[in-house]
Amino acid sequence: MTQIVEADRRLAIEEAAARVIADPANSRVAARLLAEEIADEAAGHGVRTFSESVAATHAAGLVQDSLAAFVAAHAAELDALARDEADDRFEYFGLRTVYDRYLLRHPETRAVLERPQHFLLRVACGLSSSVAEAAELYGLMSTLAYLPSSPTLFNSGARRPQLSSCFLLDSPRDELEAIYDRYGQVARLSKYAGGIGISWTRVRSRGSLIRGTNGHSNGIVPWLRTLDASVAAVNQGGRRKGAACVYLETWHADVEEFLELRDNTGEDARRTHNLNLANWVPDEFMRRVEADEPWSLFDPKDVPDLTDLYGDAFDRAYRAYEEQGRYVRRIPARTLYGRMMRTLAQTGNGWMTFKDAANRTSNQTARPENVIHLSNLCTEILEVTSDAETAVCNLGSVNLAAHLRDGAGLDWDRLRGTVRTAVRFLDRTIDLGFYPTPEAEAANRRWRPIGLGVMGLADVFFALRLPFDSPRALELSTRIAEEIALAAYDTSADLAAERGRHPSYDDTRAAGGVLHPDHYAGAAGSPRWDALRAKVATTGLRNSLMIAIAPTATIASIAGCYECIEPQVSNVFKRETLSGEFLQVNRYLVADLQARGLWTQAMRDAIKRADGSVQDVPGIPDDLKTLYRTAWELPQKALIDLAAARQPYIDQSQSLNLFMASPTIGKLSSMYAYAWKSGLKTTYYLRSRPATRIAQTTVAAAPAAPEVTAAEAVACSLENPEVCEACQ
Amino acid sequence: MLLDPGMDLTLRPMRYPDFYERYRAAIRNTWTVEEVDLHTDLADLARMTPQERHLINRLVAFFATGDSIVANNLVLNLYQHVNAPEARLYLSRQLFEEAVHVQFYLTLLDTYLPDPDERVKAFAAIEHIPSIRDKAEFCFRWIDSINGLRRLETADERRQFLLNLICFAACIEGLFFYGAFAYVYWFRSRGLLGGLATGTNWVFRDESMHMEFAFSVVDTVRAEEPELFDDKLGEQVTAMLEEAVAAELAFARDLCGDGMPGMSAEQMREYLEYVADQRLVRLGLPVRYGTANPFAFMELQDVQELANFFERRVSAYQVAVEGNVTFDETF
Repeated sequence: MTQIVEADRRLAIEEAAARVIADPANSRVAARLLAEEIADEAAGHGVRTFSESVAATHAAGLVQDSLAAFVAAHAAELDALARDEADDRFEYFGLRTVYDRYLLRHPETRAVLERPQHFLLRVACGLSSSVAEAAELYGLMSTLAYLPSSPTLFNSGARRPQLSSCFLLDSPRDELEAIYDRYGQVARLSKYAGGIGISWTRVRSRGSLIRGTNGHSNGIVPWLRTLDASVAAVNQGGRRKGAACVYLETWHADVEEFLELRDNTGEDARRTHNLNLANWVPDEFMRRVEADEPWSLFDPKDVPDLTDLYGDAFDRAYRAYEEQGRYVRRIPARTLYGRMMRTLAQTGNGWMTFKDAANRTSNQTARPENVIHLSNLCTEILEVTSDAETAVCNLGSVNLAAHLRDGAGLDWDRLRGTVRTAVRFLDRTIDLGFYPTPEAEAANRRWRPIGLGVMGLADVFFALRLPFDSPRALELSTRIAEEIALAAYDTSADLAAERGRHPSYDDTRAAGGVLHPDHYAGAAGSPRWDALRAKVATTGLRNSLMIAIAPTATIASIAGCYECIEPQVSNVFKRETLSGEFLQVNRYLVADLQARGLWTQAMRDAIKRADGSVQDVPGIPDDLKTLYRTAWELPQKALIDLAAARQPYIDQSQSLNLFMASPTIGKLSSMYAYAWKSGLKTTYYLRSRPATRIAQTTVAAAPAAPEVTAAEAVACSLENPEVCEACQ
Repeated sequence: MLLDPGMDLTLRPMRYPDFYERYRAAIRNTWTVEEVDLHTDLADLARMTPQERHLINRLVAFFATGDSIVANNLVLNLYQHVNAPEARLYLSRQLFEEAVHVQFYLTLLDTYLPDPDERVKAFAAIEHIPSIRDKAEFCFRWIDSINGLRRLETADERRQFLLNLICFAACIEGLFFYGAFAYVYWFRSRGLLGGLATGTNWVFRDESMHMEFAFSVVDTVRAEEPELFDDKLGEQVTAMLEEAVAAELAFARDLCGDGMPGMSAEQMREYLEYVADQRLVRLGLPVRYGTANPFAFMELQDVQELANFFERRVSAYQVAVEGNVTFDETF
């Protein structure tokens, strides 16, 4: 009997979830049913209250003794904090993600041992030393106003609390033992759900002499194949596959083969299907592309110091090596740039990240020996690395959508309050975290960087009816970034006064009185920045870096908002994740159309047939068409302008995706040159669309095509085939 | 005219630029079997009920031979009679895609069925398992129906050819395969068999294009020789779809048995009737069933995908990209 009820409920959930397009309210219906199912499942193991859930997970060996003791000592107070009705804030996709991936499960039965609110409170308790602290963080999380990154959600309070999202490893030294040592480090870091960025710039290029054996090197590709296999072998606790991004500086002589690593044609022995690729691009290269000059490619063995230089020092050394004829070969800079663009268009990979902008403005690079050699897996972290130090970052993101006041803009006080709490708890993760390698621990304790980001910017724009490319959107987005930076820095200064500066504070630009926005003309002129600068001069800072805008793919799903700073990709789309496929519909658009009596089956079919675009759908008013453009329909220049305007307040970087439905080399080369000139430090994926698509099955078929006569067809081919409507 | 007998070689002026554009679009969508990670499915298979395992084994057995049959008809019949070089370019490309699908399903079978004897049995299903044999016989009958035709001279011969073309587009690629994909997406909607679903997404994308190409050939012939499309042809097409629905329904009964939550032969019947109606509408014929789509999870296939790259390979990239480096284009 129970089994039948459960099966019926599961079916009802799936039905409701699949009908979210007809009415987005179905998402909450499905979520509520799922919450019941979760509660029943947990009850099967005797879990009803928070303290029971921690007792059960502790008995199953999943959480720390100290957490179990803390919860047992404060059981009544903590049980009163956990509020199941907060589950009502979840959309179905969010709750489903929590259920499938985050709730702790019994090792044998695989049944969940905690409810969603138990999970959030457990995460909060894992980072707290008092009930009041736990209540403060839980309050933010249960209102979905702030969420720490996935590793912290996975592991807070766990027996191995690996809380960090990102690890950045310097290139292995150019020797066999160093390379194999790096594989081991990557595997250990990957195992505990960290994303890996690793440079390979120091490793000699193809054809280079190997003195020990008098043979010639096969270059970096075979090494990266091994890395590829190693990364794929590491399964992050069954939750997701390992993932890594390899960075290569643009002057490395193997750069062309590097750019082909993700192609799905050609010799498979020279392909890496699991690695992501990023270009670490010096300004000198971009200048030569602009001027249409030659570019020299070097074997790092011949120019070992190049990767440790940036700015003028790099330019001088690079040119001197050219004059000495040390290069392996020269090619037109534009030829290589064109290949980089081609890789972006064909694979979305080969991200453009800019070495000089990254180093010039970083708080960590005050001393010449401290150099940023790469960014991370998602291109939002920029921290110095060396053989002895693996950079680490702990992340969390503020949900801007949760800080909207009804129809009246953002609640700035509340936003500042959220940032203060978030920074304190992010700082706390540095001390509580388990570090899989000594190099990671060494770096994190010295620099204490954190990465506070945002999500739900698109929700804010929709709610306030600001098109992404409007001047008011740019103004608001920049103000958000500035407010967050001010509050974060101020909190870090308070923390420094309470608990001391981070140990390498004297090596930072802040110690010399320069804060990140000071690198940008006019960005820190207000009295608030003057006051902050004066405060920092006496207190110092607890954290060397504080702001980074991560992609937030999973936590934005949990929070039910749009990802980080991204525009929507479609008004109707499907999310593919490890736990299945889920329909998402733009609920702001639906509400607007419902209010105007336009949300009909015919309208839904028309929007689906148009792939989630409303631009050519008859009957949609122009104001809505402008507001509800998708990422494919917005000028990408606007996304870059928004990113550039907030860059002064982002002391690390931003995971900035760019979108182009049908990329060409011409459009891409113009776009990325503009991004570089705008002062962006990094860019992320280039997203494009498949050339053909699946036939739609659930939309009423469009009837047989209007007849095209042979004469029309001939005319069409002879004139301009690209704009001929008879063929479209 | 497109169906006039011969081996036309003239590409300029191009008579049917739409076919050429379809060929180019297909090339931009190249994918390879090596990009699909099927091993993640093994844990799911191990957890399945005997009923679900039965369904999957039958499905794999159908996939083992399905695309080879389509490829055979393409070589034996379509390529011969669709007389425009740009259309033959598309068919050549389609043949390659069918080969990739055959390779994909071979890899699937090798992965899902570690026992060599089981693999042999899967390929033999076409002879031993009635529900699969009946579908194959339906296909072979239509392949054979015009195999003796060397030239399409008369109106009747051209109608026979159209029936073959429509059969493979609307009944085989557009109904048998669509039915099979629905099982895959049913599993996917429950978070199962993600590897198979990824490959299926790409196969589905290709099959959708094949079907649309065939329908645009039909549209073209209709524009050139409207007299071929008489009532009798319409009746024959409808009857053929009815037969296909019946064959696929028998397959569904074999797969689903007494049914599972969210998937039963009865629901599959509704789905097949719904899909068959769509094919009829596309061909300008009246609907036969008027049945609604019972599978909410198929709605998922109609909208853009947005994958979290941590988790799944994104299938949305294009292969051929053109142009030169410039700095003054708008973006």
